[in-house]
Amino acid sequence: MSQSKLDRLVKMVNQIALNMSANGADKMVADQVAQHLEKFWSPPMKNLITEKASGADIGLTPIAQLAVQNLLVMQEAKRPSYPPHSLNPQLIQG
Amino acid sequence: MLEFYEPQADYGTPKSTSTTMVTLSIDGVSVTVPEGTSVMRAAAESGVKIPRLCATDQLKSFGSCRVCLVEIEGRRGFPASCTTNVEAGMEVKTQSDEIGKLRRNVMELYISDHPLDCLTCPTNGDCELQDTAGELGLRSVRYGFEGENHLVAEKDESNPYFTFDPSKCIVCSRCVRACEEVQGTFALTIDGRGFESKVSASQAEDFMDSECVSCGACVNACPTATLTEKSIIEAGKPEHSVTTTCAYCGVGCAFKAEMKGNQVVRMTPLKDGKANEGHACVKGRFAFGYATHKDRITVPMIRDSIDDPWKEVSWEEAVTYTAKRFKDIQAEYGRNSIGAISSSRCTNEEVYLVQKMVRAGFGNNNIDTCARVCHSPTGFGLKTTLGESAGTQTFASVADADVVIVMGANPTEAHPVFGSRLKRRLREGAKLIVIDPRKIELVSSPHITADYHLPVRPGTNVTILNALAHVVVNEGLEARDYIAERCDVPEFEKWQAFIGDDRHSPENTESITGVPAADLRAAARLYATGGNGAIFYGLGVTEHSQGSTAVMGIANLAMLTGNIGRDGVGVNPLRGQNNVQGSCDMGSFPHELPGYRHISDTATRNLFEGEWGVTLDSEPGLRIPNMFDAALDGDFKGLYCQGEDIAQSDPNTQHVEAALRAIDCLVVQDIFLNETAKFAHVFLPGASFLEKDGTFTNAERRISRVRKVMPPLSGKADWEGTMALANALGCKMDYSHPSEIMDEIARLTPTFNGVSYAKLEQLGSIQWPCNDNTPEGTPIMHIDEFVRGKGFFAMTEYVATTERANRKFPLLLTTGRILSQYNVGAQTRRTQNSEWHGEDVLEIHPHDAEERGINHGDWVGINSRVGDTVLRADVTDKVKPGVVYTTFHHPVSGANVITTDNSDWATNCPEYKVTAVQISKVTQPSNWQARQKSFDKQQQGLLKKGLLQEGSSQKAAH
Repeated sequence: MSQSKLDRLVKMVNQIALNMSANGADKMVADQVAQHLEKFWSPPMKNLITEKASGADIGLTPIAQLAVQNLLVMQEAKRPSYPPHSLNPQLIQG
Repeated sequence: MLEFYEPQADYGTPKSTSTTMVTLSIDGVSVTVPEGTSVMRAAAESGVKIPRLCATDQLKSFGSCRVCLVEIEGRRGFPASCTTNVEAGMEVKTQSDEIGKLRRNVMELYISDHPLDCLTCPTNGDCELQDTAGELGLRSVRYGFEGENHLVAEKDESNPYFTFDPSKCIVCSRCVRACEEVQGTFALTIDGRGFESKVSASQAEDFMDSECVSCGACVNACPTATLTEKSIIEAGKPEHSVTTTCAYCGVGCAFKAEMKGNQVVRMTPLKDGKANEGHACVKGRFAFGYATHKDRITVPMIRDSIDDPWKEVSWEEAVTYTAKRFKDIQAEYGRNSIGAISSSRCTNEEVYLVQKMVRAGFGNNNIDTCARVCHSPTGFGLKTTLGESAGTQTFASVADADVVIVMGANPTEAHPVFGSRLKRRLREGAKLIVIDPRKIELVSSPHITADYHLPVRPGTNVTILNALAHVVVNEGLEARDYIAERCDVPEFEKWQAFIGDDRHSPENTESITGVPAADLRAAARLYATGGNGAIFYGLGVTEHSQGSTAVMGIANLAMLTGNIGRDGVGVNPLRGQNNVQGSCDMGSFPHELPGYRHISDTATRNLFEGEWGVTLDSEPGLRIPNMFDAALDGDFKGLYCQGEDIAQSDPNTQHVEAALRAIDCLVVQDIFLNETAKFAHVFLPGASFLEKDGTFTNAERRISRVRKVMPPLSGKADWEGTMALANALGCKMDYSHPSEIMDEIARLTPTFNGVSYAKLEQLGSIQWPCNDNTPEGTPIMHIDEFVRGKGFFAMTEYVATTERANRKFPLLLTTGRILSQYNVGAQTRRTQNSEWHGEDVLEIHPHDAEERGINHGDWVGINSRVGDTVLRADVTDKVKPGVVYTTFHHPVSGANVITTDNSDWATNCPEYKVTAVQISKVTQPSNWQARQKSFDKQQQGLLKKGLLQEGSSQKAAH
């Protein structure tokens, strides 16, 4: 995992938060941003941002930081999904 | 369906749309037709053909040839049936000795100045003059050929696709009228008077040097061999035809592919085609030669490394090799380490299969489509506000528009057949507002002048849209009843407070947008109060870091003024490629299944799981830019890319190239060794649209059949290639025809429930949703209520792009398309269309050019924050000072070497339309261009080495 990968994700979350900023109060915006990430981001992206943002300043704006916290809650409510690095269980392995 | 060649039925004059019926008698038979119908058409509809030369149902009646004379009881003389409309009780006689004599006299005069070389004439057997002479029983010409005539008039062969032979012209003006009425270019005229009258292109220029745009409407309209396709001159008359759909832009024109055996000799636009109604452009009508170009690769190829020569293999070996490599990659790097990109150039059935293979076979949702880089914000924005990710109208609906906004689109270049339709309405008096940084053709062209051109600074669309809405709200011009009845009122009130803020006023935003406040206010008033308001937009709206916000801003504006839900209004995304709408409909985005249903929705997933017999991952997969990033991070190692040239079309080329180099197994399925294929390990030969069955869905949600007119050169249509790969992966697929794939789509997708090939045969085309509620489809959406229920006014805060001009990069580059070329040019560059556009150039305003000492035609370096390239300068005031513009049709141009990986906040659609650059005069290509040239040479060499292998079956094609 490179630093630039995380930087890219941070930039994206901040951008989403900024563009949604007029939607309402910060808490509501953070919730909407979290839903957006949940809806459109792949699990590795979600995992990385939630893992790195927890308890550390990775450059997220306050709303984005709150959104990522909300996302973590949403993710934890869903686990477990497929274990990482598993093969597609449906495929006949040759 | 296969049909023996027969010219399309011609009723002589256009159909009347009146609902009042009139009954008359023609040759003693009672006929009832709509009021406003000509006698000629009424006769034709009742099965009586009145001879004619200057009349055709594509054009208004003209009454010049005097061949269509008839007798009408109680009227003096012999009125022309084309210009005489029916009246109740009228008694018409179409045949009599006297009429016959008069018609023959007229024909004699025509034939006395016409070459009698029918047997060697290219239109022998397909000539209205010849047919009419036959119908009239003309047996001799009394006048001889000794007198003054036009028989030695010089032929103009300058146009690559058709010839103009004035010796065969009867000056019926059909070509001139087609250029005016159908195409709207006004390039042709009748020059001179009396005997000197002749058809002239522009100011008596060759066709190639004139304003002619080679749409071919004149050729289509010509009743003689005066304007004839060179393909017909070379090959002769077609012997059968197959109705199909064009594979160029999102207009989705219907064509008759006219054939001799397996050879296409002409593409004739279908009059019954609802998207085009008998019209076409230079691409669809003429640029089909790429399909059999010598560069076609028709045999599968593999190689272990991109530095190795290609090795030709069988389909079986290619898919077995690919399946093994993909499985090995997944075993080593995990289930999510592979994915696919499908193409908007492929059929619905093909993109459906690709996403099915990814979800059911790869076991992940790493499927994305090229719509990611064009209209993904449309999907997001319209779904959010209206509830459905699609345009709201038919193209024909523009005929009822009173005010048209064209924003970030250039219809006459990129969607030319719709452009002609729009121009027709504008000539009839509809008002026009153009919002575009460039002075596009619609701003000012013959008989068209935009009422307002708002030359927006690139990157500030949202501010413009907010300012327009601000004026409507603050001047009390909103459609209050409509909003109260149709929209979410609490959300509207919240939005109203936001948009009403003074910071959105035209005066306060003028410094951001560069648009004079007075013009913007006037434009807003016009749209809000001018009657039916229709908005057409393109990639100039979506390809921004705020693309999704702008789409929502457009929807807000339309709802605010009550302009959604009936003919003549609406929100109309002009889709770039032929099947952008369809590829999105078919579940090609990583987060949603066909029909725009989210992958996390358990009920929807269960439906697909039941049909496919697998368990699906409930999490979204990677988008295209995410795939590139993951590849560079070492997490993404296998990619199947069908019909899409990401190395040329995606932004920040050097980033894309690095990502492609990092992929262990890149599989490209295409008809040519495109830029992406040069980084590939497996090449699966693709099929052109002429070689397969399927459907395309155009920008108006119209599903139309694509029909195979020749066998696939590689032995497999693209859907068969995907199926072979899926089966090799253990993902069972067993379709014998694309109709079975469509049946599966219909079973699983509510908006497609009523679609089948049988119904498409019956109706010609269907606009989805098509289901039990709307069994024949839905031309206009959101009529009584929005798909989402109440229309949602989304907040549209303007967030400026981080890509800003500064002292180092003082100009803003924006990109676009040109009429003769299509997308990355893979198809059109391999046709004679390149005679119009052999290279991409950089448009720069004279002021900016002068400051830099740049003259027209100079080589200029274009430097951005991510790269640089070199193009020739086109000094023009089409762009405003501070803005430069180029196209991306030629790989060597490297237009996307300059564009950045900035993207739309909601969808990651790249920000192609705003790149800060500096321009300077240079003398040599850029380093990237030198590298590209060398890499291309290496890859062509490796291809050639492969082809030189003993027993290469590819040789035949080369």
